[in-house]
Amino acid sequence: MFNGVEIVNLAAYFGAAIAVSLSSISAGFGEGHTAAIASKALARQPESSDKISKTMLISQAVTETCAIFSLVVALLLLFGGATKDSGGIVKASSLLAAGLAMGLGSIGPGFGSGFTGAQACKSIGRMPKSESDITGNMIVGQALSQASSTFALVVALLLIYAVPDFEGLNIYEQLLKAILYFSASIAIGLGTLGPGSAIGYVAGRSSDMLGRYPRQRAVLVRSMILGAAVTESTAIYSLVIAFLLMFAV
Amino acid sequence: MEGMEFIAKAAAYFGAAFCMGIGALGPALGEGFVAAKACEGIARSPENAALLTRTMLLGQAVTESTGIYSLVIALLLIFST
Repeated sequence: MFNGVEIVNLAAYFGAAIAVSLSSISAGFGEGHTAAIASKALARQPESSDKISKTMLISQAVTETCAIFSLVVALLLLFGGATKDSGGIVKASSLLAAGLAMGLGSIGPGFGSGFTGAQACKSIGRMPKSESDITGNMIVGQALSQASSTFALVVALLLIYAVPDFEGLNIYEQLLKAILYFSASIAIGLGTLGPGSAIGYVAGRSSDMLGRYPRQRAVLVRSMILGAAVTESTAIYSLVIAFLLMFAV
Repeated sequence: MEGMEFIAKAAAYFGAAFCMGIGALGPALGEGFVAAKACEGIARSPENAALLTRTMLLGQAVTESTGIYSLVIALLLIFST
């Protein structure tokens, strides 16, 4: 029952669907929010429309990162050759878990980066002169926010390609391995939700403040990076737990 | 491995995953809020930047404690069963 290649293919298809659909929730919402706030800023300041549109497009491209990671994981699950060589419930679980890890892991960064982009567009509408400072601050903040989706990508790739064969184990041991891989994906998927969106909030507020007080650029960028680094720590704990669940037990 | 042992281990691993996953949500959101408000305060009164940064780090360290509790419980669930 649990040893066919069919169940592995089923898990890979299902995992690909989960990855892409969950990630498009947040990336779509974030980019739409950026575009909405940018339109509002543009209506107030029509003369700086090219600056606002440029920053909006850059921020949407960075927000798209987590959705592109999910697309890559889904394509690897469908066409990456991981399903061909072996069957079994352990392989099936690891492929489904890869999709779940990447899908859940891109929700937080998508929302966070979208908020950052929106605040940066609003800020440029208020202070078009400091456009380059605000855009630079926004890109740094969004990169920090997308770091947690990179953690999820690492776990997903390891789940697809670094899972060894467990031919000789009995059914209970195989089921336990399957549960371990699934647990690792839940740990990293839920664990990146908070840091991704919270770092986006920090970067958004700092971009907004940069438009109001452009002279405080150095101290604002410094305190944003410091605050974001401390906020990232819980995502690193989740990554540690996911690695321990995958490889140390 | 027998049935009961399997159920206990499976529950412990699932528990560790949910413990760390959900336990990371609250501290991260709280620390992000602290950092955002500290950025606003520093922008408004840059002469107090050192004091504000110190307060921000202190607040974040206290907020972090529940995340560390989750990490400890997850490690205990993984390794002590």
